[in-house]
Amino acid sequence: MQGGIGNMGIFKDIKALFSGMRITSKHLGRHAITLQYPEEKWEMPERSRGVVVLLSDKEDGSLNCTSCMLCMRACPTAAIVIDSPRDPETKKRNLKKFEIDFGLCCFCGLCEEACNFSAIKLATKYEFSSADKDSFLWDVNKLQEVGRDVDYIDTRKKKKVAPKKETTPAETKSPEKKPVDQKGENS
Amino acid sequence: MSDLRTEEYYLNMGPHHPSTHGVCRMVLKMDGEKVKEIEPHIGYLHRSIEKICENRTYAQCIPILDRFEYVTAMSCNYVFALAAERLASIEVPERAEHIRVIMLELNRIASHLLFYGVTAMDIGALTPFLYGLRERESILDLFEMTCGQRLTYNYIRVGGVSRDLPNGFIPKCHEALNTIEKKLADYEGLLNENPIWLVRTVGIGVLPAKVALDYGVSGPCLRASGVQYDLRRNDPYSIYDRFEFDIPVRHNGDCYDRYLLRLDEIRQSIHIVRQALDALPEGDFKAKVSPNFKPPAGEVYARIENSRGELGVHVISDGTKKPLRVKTRGASYNHIAVLPAFATDVLLADLVAIFATMDVIMPEVDR
Ligand code: SF4
Ligand code: SF4
Repeated sequence: MQGGIGNMGIFKDIKALFSGMRITSKHLGRHAITLQYPEEKWEMPERSRGVVVLLSDKEDGSLNCTSCMLCMRACPTAAIVIDSPRDPETKKRNLKKFEIDFGLCCFCGLCEEACNFSAIKLATKYEFSSADKDSFLWDVNKLQEVGRDVDYIDTRKKKKVAPKKETTPAETKSPEKKPVDQKGENS
Repeated sequence: MSDLRTEEYYLNMGPHHPSTHGVCRMVLKMDGEKVKEIEPHIGYLHRSIEKICENRTYAQCIPILDRFEYVTAMSCNYVFALAAERLASIEVPERAEHIRVIMLELNRIASHLLFYGVTAMDIGALTPFLYGLRERESILDLFEMTCGQRLTYNYIRVGGVSRDLPNGFIPKCHEALNTIEKKLADYEGLLNENPIWLVRTVGIGVLPAKVALDYGVSGPCLRASGVQYDLRRNDPYSIYDRFEFDIPVRHNGDCYDRYLLRLDEIRQSIHIVRQALDALPEGDFKAKVSPNFKPPAGEVYARIENSRGELGVHVISDGTKKPLRVKTRGASYNHIAVLPAFATDVLLADLVAIFATMDVIMPEVDR
């Protein structure tokens, strides 16, 4: 096994080495496929799963979230904490606290899938690293602020336009619940 | 010189050794440059994935299992989904099955390309690493446009896949396959006849078929030793029985054969992906499965062939929405276990080559 070079003959070896060099030299004049990162950036594909944000209504700018807590239950790492006590009189939920701890979040996207109200999304933004652990805990205002310019397809609107088709309990409740988020946001 | 006293000594290789592909410590009994005994110490990367899965619903287990074997996370997604589907007898739509095959095979190609680069780098050639990773990038781009992530996909779901293929996926995929196919000639030109590469790999670390079978070695390492065993054929899952492909086999069982076999497999995988893309039917990409579905009590072992070998998961259900027990099986565990049986009496530098061509990945061993 150690005598490989001897058996093959020196000319064959030299030829093999040169064929390797030829392949390398083919790449000499080519453009690099890498980017100079902080100055240049890749454009992220639309489905790219970056930071989790809360989406706001496209018209009145209020949060779409109805505090249904589905995302909290779907989250495998318990990164989402929602506190929304029911109003004892109106029996409606009041969004008091919505926090995501990005130190826990694994960017799996299950929260986005669980939400029926187009209220939470993994945006294509990245670059929110920090040396401070506490700064990973984002509250509702920050989540909403970062999500303001995130484009999304509002699936709620369709349900509002045609509420009579296939009314499931979740759908019928959605228009009633909507005003609650605005209250929640103001409080 | 004859009265020179020599003695054997112990050498610690790792845990933080660049060629251990993760964190593996090997205690080597050395006689000069020769390795006499190997004792692998594992557990440095233990993340308790199996236990974590016991406290998650079936849907939530999938992103956790992404971290089980992160180089081919699609297979980890898939094998768990397969187990859950068998438990709950869920029918998967045709389109979803095709998408899954496309993703699994693309992931196999990506993993083998990484193998190509990393192995060459371990043995001392840097250029192949850059080439291998460049082509792998085109596959990761495809994954990113489909599911949004490049490494931890969380794409394959119980009952299908999380999203349909995006617009423009099919032409882009064909383009990537064509490039990779063309570049394979470059890869082979760089290494196949390179005298240094040959001296470092040919006849080094011969794994006899019997030892391989005794230790439960699977995947390319087993096939390079002359055993034709591939779960895609021997225990067909998904729709692999519909596609035409060869199972490459080589007979010497040395590092060189293990390397060549993986390049052969890339060609076969390209062939499968093309067939699946052409046969892709219209229809649903996911069966209707509630995120909190409760499979009936029972247990199932699902296994698939991933780029390293047999990847299995044993799920026991007690009829609640969370599995009672999840046991994972990764091929790398056996690939480490077999090292003391055949990789002795080799030079220390050759042990690196053997370890690299066994394509061990530590998170799969320690889970
Ligand atoms: S983000 Fe969506 S799922 Fe989460 S509480 Fe709000 S409405 Fe419910
Ligand atoms: S992306 Fe996943 S881990 Fe992160 S908050 Fe959403 S569900 Fe939780």
